[in-house]
Amino acid sequence: MAIDINNVLKTFGITDVNQGVSTGNDWFDTNGTITSSSSPIDEKEIAKVKNATMEDYEMVVKKAQEAFKEWRLVPAPERGEIVRLIGLELRKYKEELGALVTYEMGKIFQEGMGEVQEMIDICDFAVGQARLINGVSLQSERREHRLFEQYQPLGIVGIVTSFNFPVAVWAWNSALAAIAGDVVIWKPSSKTPLTALATQKIIGKVLKDNNVPEGVFNLIVAKSSVMGDNFLEDKRIPLMSVTGSSAVGKRVGSIVGKRLGKTILELGGNNAVIITPNADIKMAIASTVFGTVGTAGQRCTSTRRIIIHESIYDQVKDSMVNAYKSVANKIGNPLSENSLVGPLIDVHSVNNFRNSVAKVQEEGGKILFGGEIMEGKGFESGNYVMPCIAEAENHYEIVQEETFAPIVYLIKYSGEVENAIELNNNVPQGLSSCIFTLNMREAEKFVSAVGSDCGIANVNVGTSGAEIGGAFGGEKDTGGGRESGSDSWKIYMRRQTSTSNYGAELPLAQGVKFDF
Amino acid sequence: MIDKEITIEDLVDEYPFSVAFLQKKGIKCIACGEPIWGTLEEACLEKNFSQENIQKFVDELNTLNKTQS
Repeated sequence: MAIDINNVLKTFGITDVNQGVSTGNDWFDTNGTITSSSSPIDEKEIAKVKNATMEDYEMVVKKAQEAFKEWRLVPAPERGEIVRLIGLELRKYKEELGALVTYEMGKIFQEGMGEVQEMIDICDFAVGQARLINGVSLQSERREHRLFEQYQPLGIVGIVTSFNFPVAVWAWNSALAAIAGDVVIWKPSSKTPLTALATQKIIGKVLKDNNVPEGVFNLIVAKSSVMGDNFLEDKRIPLMSVTGSSAVGKRVGSIVGKRLGKTILELGGNNAVIITPNADIKMAIASTVFGTVGTAGQRCTSTRRIIIHESIYDQVKDSMVNAYKSVANKIGNPLSENSLVGPLIDVHSVNNFRNSVAKVQEEGGKILFGGEIMEGKGFESGNYVMPCIAEAENHYEIVQEETFAPIVYLIKYSGEVENAIELNNNVPQGLSSCIFTLNMREAEKFVSAVGSDCGIANVNVGTSGAEIGGAFGGEKDTGGGRESGSDSWKIYMRRQTSTSNYGAELPLAQGVKFDF
Repeated sequence: MIDKEITIEDLVDEYPFSVAFLQKKGIKCIACGEPIWGTLEEACLEKNFSQENIQKFVDELNTLNKTQS
């Protein structure tokens, strides 16, 4: 597909300067500062967006409160129907939105379209879930009483998304929130506001055609000085879903915790692949390379560490280096079909990459491949780097940190798989992990109570690229939140236990007598 | 003019050179590719810098800014 980015912008009605606040179909001319969105591909400005002011924020919250009163009364399957139609609309614009994701964020076009597919998948999931918002019926200890649990809509859900998945994370949250009867306020990354605008415009048609009230799906592009701590402190917003770094998550957890609000925190990872002597090494390498260099190492689930048994260490090391040599020829414009690795998001990320490459060497590590900043034709933006493989030890300070760039550390282990699992777990973060082995005992140990301590623990499947059907999230400094599939929908709802007395007597629980 | 109340987001946007300056002092402005939340003062206090040190950083950043422009 030859992509004309001007046509893509035209498709979504994106002009030179755009409004950044919407309550569904209504867009508001705001007076906040201007955010300029530029492409990491060539650093050219794509368009500008007008940020919200405090007054705009207040107006949207009030609109959302009003909409919630109405939306919570719509039967869940009807709400699901709206989400189904949103999924259909996303299918129509999959290529265009995927291309805009690529242009504004830098991931390759295949991954850009993959991101939109995730949006579609979660819509499909949510449609089914809309008919399965089920509580449980329990046995009461009292005669002629019924005891049951049910789930009620919660209210406004605040959604803060990051640049690396600029639209999919919104979909994970808002599709479930919508079927749950909640309304959402989305604060997108200031690095990727245009994909948010495009998404809002795509769903706008569905909302209009189906008379969905203004205020159910809200978007606010704003600086953190306008929508930062005050957003987190806002008691009108019972649930805050935030995707970002552990540093940001700790702040969010602390502020929302002070008002006893609920959070979904999807924070940093330090994801490891364990390769044991019993692994299918060919499969392990193919999977791991996608995990390390896919999205230029800017996924929360990107593979950061490879823990390799000493008996196969040299074989794996050589295979990784050879694989990287092949990838080296496929770094470039992510809109090109030939590219497998695009640019980093900006110069700051490039500097972080450069610092990590230097730091691992200072700590005693050895660079086996890459680590350079790309120069020359096609790389003028300065945002392209050669993915790096470094030999390191797990206790190095830099290995304990997450560098949001394509640098992977090879770490040797000896003895039994327990030693590899200990290394896997010995980092502050706990998002994704995997083991490559054909040995059933090793595999089962890895996913057992004494195995990986991460939210995601795979066997012969890499750390990166989760399906929407399972709950997504991690432990420790990753924040503990779960979103997307399985029973993640429950956090978007208010759990209620009810006891109903259909008899003529009034027995108290535990046989307590209280006669007066 | 930079002061200690500036948000890290504004600092990164308006004075990008400050990211490298602060990193050398052990203060990370960017994590997971995004600016951390809060003010310059909060980021410094998190790393246990004194008010005196924070003012020193602010002064140095303003001097650097003059050099940049």
